Amino acid sequence: MEEKKTLLEIKDLEVIYQTDEATVHAVNGINFSLNEKETIGLVGETGAGKTTTALTILRLLPERTGRIKGGQVLFRGENLLDKSVPEMRRVRGAEISIIFQDPMTALNPALTVGDQVLESLEIHNTAGKSKQELNARVDELFNLVGIPAERKAEYPHQFSGGMKQRIVIAIALACAPQLLIADEPTTALDVTIQAQVLKLMENLKEELGTSMIIITHDLGVVAETCDKVAIMYAGEIVEAGTVEDIFNGKEHHPYTVGLFNAIPNLDEKEERLRPIDGLMPDPANLPQGCKFGPRCPHFTEACKAQTPYIYEEKEHRIMCNLFKKEAADE
Amino acid sequence: MSNLVETVDLKKYFTVGKNRYLHAVDGVNLEIPEGKTLGVVGESGCGKSTLGRVVMGLLPATSGQINFDGQDIVSCSKKEFKQVRRKVQMIFQDPYSSLDPRMSIYELIAEPLIMNKVYKDKKEVLKRVQNLMDTVGLAERYINSYPHELDGGRRQRIGVARALALNPKFIVCDEPVSALDVSIQAQILNLLMDMQRDLGLTYMFITHNLAVVKHISDVIMVMYLGQCVEIAPADELFANPKHPYTQALLDAILKPVIGSSKERKLIRGEVTSPIDPPAGCRFAGRCEHCRPECTGRDIRLVDVGNEHKVACVLAGS
Ligand SMILES: Nc1ncnc2c1ncn2[C@@H]1O[C@H](COP(=O)(O)OP(=O)(O)OP(=O)(O)O)[C@@H](O)[C@H]1O
Ligand SMILES: Nc1ncnc2c1ncn2[C@@H]1O[C@H](COP(=O)(O)OP(=O)(O)OP(=O)(O)O)[C@@H](O)[C@H]1O
Ligand code: SF4
Ligand code: SF4
Ligand SMILES: [Mg+2]
Ligand SMILES: [Mg+2]
Repeated sequence: MEEKKTLLEIKDLEVIYQTDEATVHAVNGINFSLNEKETIGLVGETGAGKTTTALTILRLLPERTGRIKGGQVLFRGENLLDKSVPEMRRVRGAEISIIFQDPMTALNPALTVGDQVLESLEIHNTAGKSKQELNARVDELFNLVGIPAERKAEYPHQFSGGMKQRIVIAIALACAPQLLIADEPTTALDVTIQAQVLKLMENLKEELGTSMIIITHDLGVVAETCDKVAIMYAGEIVEAGTVEDIFNGKEHHPYTVGLFNAIPNLDEKEERLRPIDGLMPDPANLPQGCKFGPRCPHFTEACKAQTPYIYEEKEHRIMCNLFKKEAADE
Repeated sequence: MSNLVETVDLKKYFTVGKNRYLHAVDGVNLEIPEGKTLGVVGESGCGKSTLGRVVMGLLPATSGQINFDGQDIVSCSKKEFKQVRRKVQMIFQDPYSSLDPRMSIYELIAEPLIMNKVYKDKKEVLKRVQNLMDTVGLAERYINSYPHELDGGRRQRIGVARALALNPKFIVCDEPVSALDVSIQAQILNLLMDMQRDLGLTYMFITHNLAVVKHISDVIMVMYLGQCVEIAPADELFANPKHPYTQALLDAILKPVIGSSKERKLIRGEVTSPIDPPAGCRFAGRCEHCRPECTGRDIRLVDVGNEHKVACVLAGS
């Protein structure tokens, strides 16, 4: 078997936001690892802690409120949480880049979109390319994300939401990173542009061996692009495994089952969609034991008593008491 | 059935330099019958949000006509427009940035009522706010909360409650569920459909999610660079897509199953710029069926039966 090299390892990561009113337990002891050339999908309810996880890896948590309570982020074996601020800046510039959920946080409203892509190319211009070559590359990147290069002299406010997102993607790709974290990269895009962007990301993976963390609500995107999947709920990874485990496996966490049931089906006419009952728990006041308990159709008193049982079958892990007994009861 | 909303040759151009115009919406004719939903899909940047804002009167049209309930709102007086404006509301994509974080839930929902001086008495405003919260499924205990204390689904419910405050007849929903996870998305879509049934609302629903648009729409319009290239009842469009762009769109859908994707055809070729585009099919630069008659003259929508219209030289042949 081919030896896979680990690029990133997250160990027992715990993150809170300390606000004036409350302590928000955003990430509660998560573990996952990512090999070179591998893509992992982070899926989960709004507020589950996906963006917080991404920001922690890059050490970009809001300074005033964000606190890393424990755990490690090992990037090529080195703990990023121990790095100095200048060291971290170098990592962010050269090795890890992020596509933010909200494109406006990443774009400078006072610079033309073309200049912003060019700037990113200049920073990473280790090969000493000429200005002309870089400008040609800007045009190429615009074309790759489906925007006429003629429009590069315009400003972000003149672009639609999806067009801004495509500029952010072009900037991230210009960096040619080792690890690309993409937070909802294609939500604002139509499916034909989405297909092009995903293809671009795949090329990056093949040409440069880039690993990726894709955060998304779209299970179609996960099925298409990911090798592994981690399903998050209330700051924990409640189910993880290979993409086959998640999409074709028999055993699932009740939350995962609920997610799949909620998707509108293209091939059937349904009168009503089926959301998961109840609402996400308040992260400042999480339930005892299984955090999904109050919404779970299989809830028993035992689920409340302690953290649930962890089922493991090769790479597939599920945190749920349903799998505790040998003899399945249904 | 009568149309609540109609547009005739509606255009919206943006000035982007000396004598250069960006044709964001370029001659759109649409009809939305009362109580129905028109879905609008198309490439990002093709003009969907601009169309929505122009139809709502948030942006002035460059030319053309918008009829609302039989009244032309492009040429009517300011006073008449103000009357109409109340009956038309919008729900935005981002429940985070479209709500003022310093306002409580009560203040947010009461704002349109107070601004339009609907009630004289404060108690009546409170009653209406409570009633709206109930309609959209927000528990009353949140009335003094702030948006950041709520999850995305509840925040979007505030957006819906605000839109409903003035008893509108027509709501433009611009990507209302895109930022939400699939479970909350299902809640909001169920809510919108229940409200349509109970209050007889008419929707224009803009989204990139084709499974969602199929679920919620009666008729779907496909836009490409400011123009309508295909329009048909939802099931008909999915069963029988005629325009090459629509076909590419449906072909690019990613289903939540693995191994479905094999080798996908990507659209290739030059993207036509919306700045002073030449006459002819705007998809021509990327269309594998492009032929001489596709360029040089505008391609009109042709009725191909089953309430299905297509703007392509291949249609009907
Ligand atoms: N700056 C902050 N201050 C206080 N709480 C915060 C802050 N940022 C996020 N949170 C809270 O932390 C939790 C996790 O948020 P996070 O943004 O990581 O979720 P997410 O999984 O990315 O959700 P979404 O799918 O909506 O993007 C949520 O309860 C959120 O309200
Ligand atoms: N204020 C403006 N000034 C100049 N051009 C604009 C302005 N607003 C929008 N545009 C342009 O009009 C076109 C249509 O934009 P619009 O926001 O309507 O697209 P959209 O279909 O909603 O896209 P998305 O799916 O990405 O939201 C784009 O080319 C955009 O750059
Ligand atoms: S541990 Fe219990 S409550 Fe939690 S998901 Fe499993 S069955 Fe449901
Ligand atoms: S009109 Fe011509 S170029 Fe346009 S979509 Fe039809 S075949 Fe293609
Ligand atoms: Mg997020
Ligand atoms: Mg838009």
